[in-house]
Amino acid sequence: MSGPWFSFTLTDFSYSFLSILFEGIPFILFGTLLSGVIDQFLPARVMTRLIPRNPAAGICVSALMGLVFPICECGIVPVIRRLVAKGLPVSSAVAYMLAAPIVNPITAISTYAAFRGQGPEEITTLRLSLGFFVAALAGFAVLNLPLRSVLKKSVLDQCGDVDSHSLTPHAPFTRRLASAMHSGTRDFLDVAVYFVLGVAVTSLFGTSINQEIFLPLALNETLAIPAMMTLAGLLSLCSSSDAFIAATFVSFPAVAKLAFLVIGPMVDLKLLFVYSLVFTRRFVAGLAVGLFLLVALLALRLGIVFQ
Amino acid sequence: MNPRLSRLSIPAVLLLWGVLILYFCLSGRIVSYLHPSFQWFAFASGVILTLLAAAVFLLPDGHCCDSHGSHALGLPSLAMLVVPILATTSISQDHFSASTVLNRRVLEHIEDLPAFTPPLDPPLPQHDGTVGEGTMMDPSLYLQTNTEGQILAETVDLMYAATDETMRSDFDGREVEVVGQLMPARTGSPDNNRFHLVRLFVMCCAADARPAGIIVQTNESLNFAEMDWVKVSGTATFPVENGRHKAVLHANRIIETEPPRESFIY
Repeated sequence: MSGPWFSFTLTDFSYSFLSILFEGIPFILFGTLLSGVIDQFLPARVMTRLIPRNPAAGICVSALMGLVFPICECGIVPVIRRLVAKGLPVSSAVAYMLAAPIVNPITAISTYAAFRGQGPEEITTLRLSLGFFVAALAGFAVLNLPLRSVLKKSVLDQCGDVDSHSLTPHAPFTRRLASAMHSGTRDFLDVAVYFVLGVAVTSLFGTSINQEIFLPLALNETLAIPAMMTLAGLLSLCSSSDAFIAATFVSFPAVAKLAFLVIGPMVDLKLLFVYSLVFTRRFVAGLAVGLFLLVALLALRLGIVFQ
Repeated sequence: MNPRLSRLSIPAVLLLWGVLILYFCLSGRIVSYLHPSFQWFAFASGVILTLLAAAVFLLPDGHCCDSHGSHALGLPSLAMLVVPILATTSISQDHFSASTVLNRRVLEHIEDLPAFTPPLDPPLPQHDGTVGEGTMMDPSLYLQTNTEGQILAETVDLMYAATDETMRSDFDGREVEVVGQLMPARTGSPDNNRFHLVRLFVMCCAADARPAGIIVQTNESLNFAEMDWVKVSGTATFPVENGRHKAVLHANRIIETEPPRESFIY
């Protein structure tokens, strides 16, 4: 390896920090303004009608909702916070939150384009299928957990108080719009605090760690998978473009790149902070570890099958 | 915090963020941070945040309760939303230093770059035997020359040429002029006479930038710092090293130059 494994430069950290911030803010703003509209204009009964009552069917439908309502991982957290308050079961919300950044048309197209010449059909199909499968499994796991161990107290309180912040449907449209704006603004600032923390940590690792330390691991299929997954967590790329980066790791086995593409939009450094806005710290830690192990094991299994 | 100040904190933070984003967009600094397709999103978010600040200030939310203090920002949140963005704005130099470029490893082969697609077979000549206009078979489209007759090329042009035989024959042995940032070659320079000429390739934002570089070989002693922008004139060659063709520019002249308006390649 040429050069030290860690070298910190404040100017580079600042540059990377601002670039991720400028890239992410528009999507967070969109997500939070949408959450404000959901808060004021989406009646709670609509959610219960849209999602099947059977929990298993509800989780599966939610994990596929990204195909109709695509939203990236930065913008989705405020949306699911409102949806949970409106009556969306937490298990379905977790499934939607984890699957939507992967199981959506934009990610499918970008993955296909990025892997031209490297089996784009297989990688795209496997990415979307694994994304759906892992998100649905996480949803099923949440189904059996008490809500207080999953949701933060402030979010839990809102669940039992569904429309307390919403104006009645008979209120003037402009008043409801203003109220939606205030809800969205509060959500934006809430998410922004956690996003800033996450971006800071991501920028620290993204600029300071010598990425050559991962290269020797490419030769070992078993180690290549966790190495690529760790890299995905450190780089915190956007799900619409991460495939272009993953495709360049030509020396890594395909399953390791697949694991990178599945875990990245579900668990990365900045997302761990943003998830903490809605979920308890213990749940976030458990989710991160569980997803990491699950994706690694699935990728290893796939590697054995395809050998 | 004083309740009045506390109520002002939300529009103030929104205004700060909106104005800062608009400042980056309108001053042109944003081109050093984002891919062009994301710059409009940033501009729109700057406008929306500024308008939201005005709207939140002028239209206080009379409906919603404040029992949880949800209308005001606590001091830690306020600090988190104000200090890092102001500090990084003043510290950032709108480019990476050599430290980060080295941490990301200079990519010498075009196949290692994001979004690389293998060159297609060139189209067949037309019925009369001539080359069709607007195709890659028409070298005038990509072989522009300067007043000294040197081909004006980008680092990625030469990296592509190393992969594609047709393009390679257009450049091989010819005089070219390339602009990029100088990075010492940490490996592959046993005689200590090589450096990398690097451009950063970006997919979305500077944080995902990947350094793409060609090798420049020179016998001159260099008086440039790492990451200085230089213009190199020399002969393009494509020797086989480690089993692959690699772009190596034998420099005749190296001069310092101004960075291009858009320092990234996309």
